[in-house]
Amino acid sequence: MKVQILGTGCPKCLTLEANTRSAVAAEGIEATIEKITDIDEIMDMGVMITPALAIDGEVVSVGKVLNKDQVLALIKGAK
Amino acid sequence: MGCACGLDCPVLISYACSGAANTGLLADQVARKLMGDKVADMSCLAAVGANVSGFVLSAKETPRNIVIDGCKIGCGAKVFTEKGLIFEHYVITDFGVVKGKTPITEEVIQTVSAEIASRL
Repeated sequence: MKVQILGTGCPKCLTLEANTRSAVAAEGIEATIEKITDIDEIMDMGVMITPALAIDGEVVSVGKVLNKDQVLALIKGAK
Repeated sequence: MGCACGLDCPVLISYACSGAANTGLLADQVARKLMGDKVADMSCLAAVGANVSGFVLSAKETPRNIVIDGCKIGCGAKVFTEKGLIFEHYVITDFGVVKGKTPITEEVIQTVSAEIASRL
Protein backbone atom coordinates (compact mmCIF):
# COMPACT_ATOMS: atom_id res chain seq x y z
CA MET A 1 0.00 0.00 0.00
CA LYS A 2 1.22 3.48 -0.86
CA VAL A 3 0.06 6.40 1.25
CA GLN A 4 0.77 9.91 0.04
CA ILE A 5 0.46 13.16 1.96
CA LEU A 6 0.04 16.12 -0.35
CA GLY A 7 1.05 19.52 0.91
CA THR A 8 3.65 22.17 0.38
CA GLY A 9 4.96 22.06 3.94
CA CYS A 10 2.65 24.14 6.09
CA PRO A 11 1.95 23.16 9.71
CA LYS A 12 -1.34 21.49 8.77
CA CYS A 13 0.37 19.34 6.18
CA LEU A 14 3.02 18.38 8.72
CA THR A 15 0.34 17.46 11.23
CA LEU A 16 -1.42 15.26 8.71
CA GLU A 17 1.88 13.58 7.91
CA ALA A 18 2.57 12.95 11.60
CA ASN A 19 -0.93 11.57 12.16
CA THR A 20 -0.61 9.32 9.12
CA ARG A 21 2.74 7.95 10.24
CA SER A 22 1.33 7.40 13.70
CA ALA A 23 -1.71 5.54 12.34
CA VAL A 24 0.39 3.29 10.13
CA ALA A 25 2.87 2.55 12.91
CA ALA A 26 0.25 1.90 15.57
CA GLU A 27 -1.55 -0.72 13.51
CA GLY A 28 1.57 -2.21 12.00
CA ILE A 29 0.27 -1.57 8.50
CA GLU A 30 2.64 -2.40 5.68
CA ALA A 31 2.70 0.84 3.77
CA THR A 32 5.05 3.17 2.00
CA ILE A 33 4.50 6.74 3.12
CA GLU A 34 5.40 9.47 0.68
CA LYS A 35 5.24 13.23 1.13
CA ILE A 36 4.48 15.20 -2.02
CA THR A 37 5.43 18.86 -1.79
CA ASP A 38 5.76 19.77 -5.47
CA ILE A 39 2.86 22.05 -6.37
CA ASP A 40 2.64 20.79 -9.95
CA GLU A 41 2.47 17.20 -8.80
CA ILE A 42 -0.20 18.10 -6.27
CA MET A 43 -2.28 19.86 -8.91
CA ASP A 44 -1.81 17.01 -11.36
CA MET A 45 -3.73 14.91 -8.85
CA GLY A 46 -6.52 17.49 -8.93
CA VAL A 47 -5.93 18.70 -5.40
CA MET A 48 -6.82 22.38 -5.06
CA ILE A 49 -6.86 22.53 -1.26
CA THR A 50 -4.15 21.10 0.94
CA PRO A 51 -3.45 19.07 2.96
CA ALA A 52 -4.65 16.02 1.10
CA LEU A 53 -4.24 12.29 1.48
CA ALA A 54 -4.04 9.67 -1.24
CA ILE A 55 -4.02 5.91 -0.92
CA ASP A 56 -2.69 3.83 -3.79
CA GLY A 57 -3.07 6.80 -6.12
CA GLU A 58 -6.65 7.65 -5.16
CA VAL A 59 -7.19 10.94 -3.35
CA VAL A 60 -9.33 10.17 -0.30
CA SER A 61 -9.25 13.46 1.60
CA VAL A 62 -8.80 17.10 0.62
CA GLY A 63 -8.40 20.19 2.79
CA LYS A 64 -8.65 18.41 6.12
CA VAL A 65 -6.23 17.72 8.94
CA LEU A 66 -7.37 14.20 9.69
CA ASN A 67 -6.58 12.73 13.09
CA LYS A 68 -5.01 9.31 13.52
CA ASP A 69 -8.32 7.47 13.74
CA GLN A 70 -9.69 9.18 10.63
CA VAL A 71 -6.57 8.26 8.68
CA LEU A 72 -6.83 4.70 9.92
CA ALA A 73 -10.46 4.45 8.83
CA LEU A 74 -9.56 5.59 5.32
CA ILE A 75 -6.65 3.15 5.12
CA LYS A 76 -8.82 0.27 6.27
CA GLY A 77 -11.54 1.31 3.84
CA ALA A 78 -9.06 1.24 0.98
CA LYS A 79 -7.82 -2.28 1.76
CA MET B 1 -3.48 26.81 -6.70
CA GLY B 2 -3.72 29.91 -4.57
CA CYS B 3 -3.69 30.23 -0.82
CA ALA B 4 -5.62 27.16 0.07
CA CYS B 5 -3.96 25.40 2.95
CA GLY B 6 -6.70 24.02 5.15
CA LEU B 7 -9.19 26.60 3.92
CA ASP B 8 -7.65 29.40 5.98
CA CYS B 9 -8.53 31.87 3.25
CA PRO B 10 -11.34 32.10 0.71
CA VAL B 11 -11.12 29.57 -2.06
CA LEU B 12 -12.98 30.12 -5.29
CA ILE B 13 -12.57 27.66 -8.14
CA SER B 14 -13.99 27.98 -11.63
CA TYR B 15 -14.85 25.22 -14.08
CA ALA B 16 -15.47 26.04 -17.74
CA CYS B 17 -17.42 23.94 -20.20
CA SER B 18 -14.80 24.42 -22.95
CA GLY B 19 -17.21 23.02 -25.54
CA ALA B 20 -16.72 23.08 -29.30
CA ALA B 21 -18.72 26.22 -30.06
CA ASN B 22 -17.61 29.83 -29.72
CA THR B 23 -19.46 29.96 -26.42
CA GLY B 24 -17.41 27.06 -25.06
CA LEU B 25 -14.25 28.83 -26.17
CA LEU B 26 -15.37 31.97 -24.38
CA ALA B 27 -16.26 30.06 -21.22
CA ASP B 28 -12.72 28.71 -21.17
CA GLN B 29 -11.14 32.09 -21.90
CA VAL B 30 -13.21 33.81 -19.23
CA ALA B 31 -12.18 31.22 -16.64
CA ARG B 32 -8.54 31.74 -17.61
CA LYS B 33 -8.95 35.49 -17.38
CA LEU B 34 -10.47 35.18 -13.91
CA MET B 35 -7.53 33.01 -12.91
CA GLY B 36 -5.01 35.45 -14.38
CA ASP B 37 -6.67 38.31 -12.51
CA LYS B 38 -6.55 36.21 -9.30
CA VAL B 39 -10.33 36.32 -8.99
CA ALA B 40 -10.75 32.54 -9.03
CA ASP B 41 -8.54 29.52 -9.46
CA MET B 42 -9.41 27.20 -12.32
CA SER B 43 -9.78 23.45 -12.32
CA CYS B 44 -10.85 20.82 -14.85
CA LEU B 45 -14.52 20.17 -15.47
CA ALA B 46 -13.69 17.12 -17.58
CA ALA B 47 -11.77 15.56 -14.70
CA VAL B 48 -14.73 16.09 -12.36
CA GLY B 49 -16.98 14.48 -14.97
CA ALA B 50 -14.55 11.59 -15.26
CA ASN B 51 -14.65 11.02 -11.50
CA VAL B 52 -10.94 11.65 -10.96
CA SER B 53 -10.81 11.51 -7.19
CA GLY B 54 -8.70 14.58 -6.42
CA PHE B 55 -10.76 16.82 -8.66
CA VAL B 56 -14.11 15.61 -7.33
CA LEU B 57 -13.03 15.87 -3.69
CA SER B 58 -11.56 19.34 -4.25
CA ALA B 59 -14.86 20.48 -5.76
CA LYS B 60 -16.70 18.95 -2.81
CA GLU B 61 -14.56 20.66 -0.17
CA THR B 62 -14.25 24.05 -1.87
CA PRO B 63 -16.50 26.71 -0.31
CA ARG B 64 -17.38 28.24 -3.69
CA ASN B 65 -17.35 26.57 -7.08
CA ILE B 66 -18.12 28.62 -10.18
CA VAL B 67 -19.37 26.70 -13.21
CA ILE B 68 -19.22 28.64 -16.48
CA ASP B 69 -21.25 26.99 -19.20
CA GLY B 70 -21.20 28.18 -22.78
CA CYS B 71 -24.84 27.67 -23.57
CA LYS B 72 -28.12 26.72 -21.99
CA ILE B 73 -27.52 23.00 -22.44
CA GLY B 74 -25.56 23.48 -19.23
CA CYS B 75 -23.30 20.43 -19.34
CA GLY B 76 -21.10 21.78 -16.57
CA ALA B 77 -24.07 22.34 -14.30
CA LYS B 78 -25.31 18.84 -15.09
CA VAL B 79 -21.96 17.32 -14.12
CA PHE B 80 -21.95 19.16 -10.81
CA THR B 81 -25.62 18.44 -10.09
CA GLU B 82 -25.21 14.75 -10.85
CA LYS B 83 -22.40 14.54 -8.31
CA GLY B 84 -24.24 16.56 -5.68
CA LEU B 85 -21.69 19.36 -5.78
CA ILE B 86 -22.67 22.89 -4.80
CA PHE B 87 -21.93 25.59 -7.36
CA GLU B 88 -22.77 29.03 -8.68
CA HIS B 89 -23.77 28.98 -12.32
CA TYR B 90 -23.04 31.35 -15.17
CA VAL B 91 -24.02 30.85 -18.81
CA ILE B 92 -22.13 32.70 -21.52
CA THR B 93 -25.20 33.24 -23.72
CA ASP B 94 -26.82 35.16 -20.83
CA PHE B 95 -24.23 37.89 -21.49
CA GLY B 96 -25.41 38.70 -25.01
CA VAL B 97 -23.10 36.25 -26.75
CA VAL B 98 -24.81 34.34 -29.56
CA LYS B 99 -23.84 30.69 -29.95
CA GLY B 100 -22.24 30.06 -33.33
CA LYS B 101 -22.15 33.73 -34.23
CA THR B 102 -20.43 36.14 -31.87
CA PRO B 103 -16.69 36.36 -32.59
CA ILE B 104 -14.61 35.77 -29.46
CA THR B 105 -12.37 38.81 -29.19
CA GLU B 106 -10.24 40.16 -26.37
CA GLU B 107 -12.93 42.78 -25.79
CA VAL B 108 -15.65 40.15 -25.37
CA ILE B 109 -13.44 38.14 -23.00
CA GLN B 110 -12.75 41.25 -20.94
CA THR B 111 -16.41 42.32 -20.84
CA VAL B 112 -17.83 38.95 -19.80
CA SER B 113 -15.10 38.17 -17.27
CA ALA B 114 -15.52 41.61 -15.69
CA GLU B 115 -19.28 41.06 -15.48
CA ILE B 116 -18.89 37.68 -13.81
CA ALA B 117 -16.19 39.01 -11.48
CA SER B 118 -18.54 41.79 -10.37
CA ARG B 119 -21.12 39.19 -9.32
CA LEU B 120 -18.75 37.04 -7.27
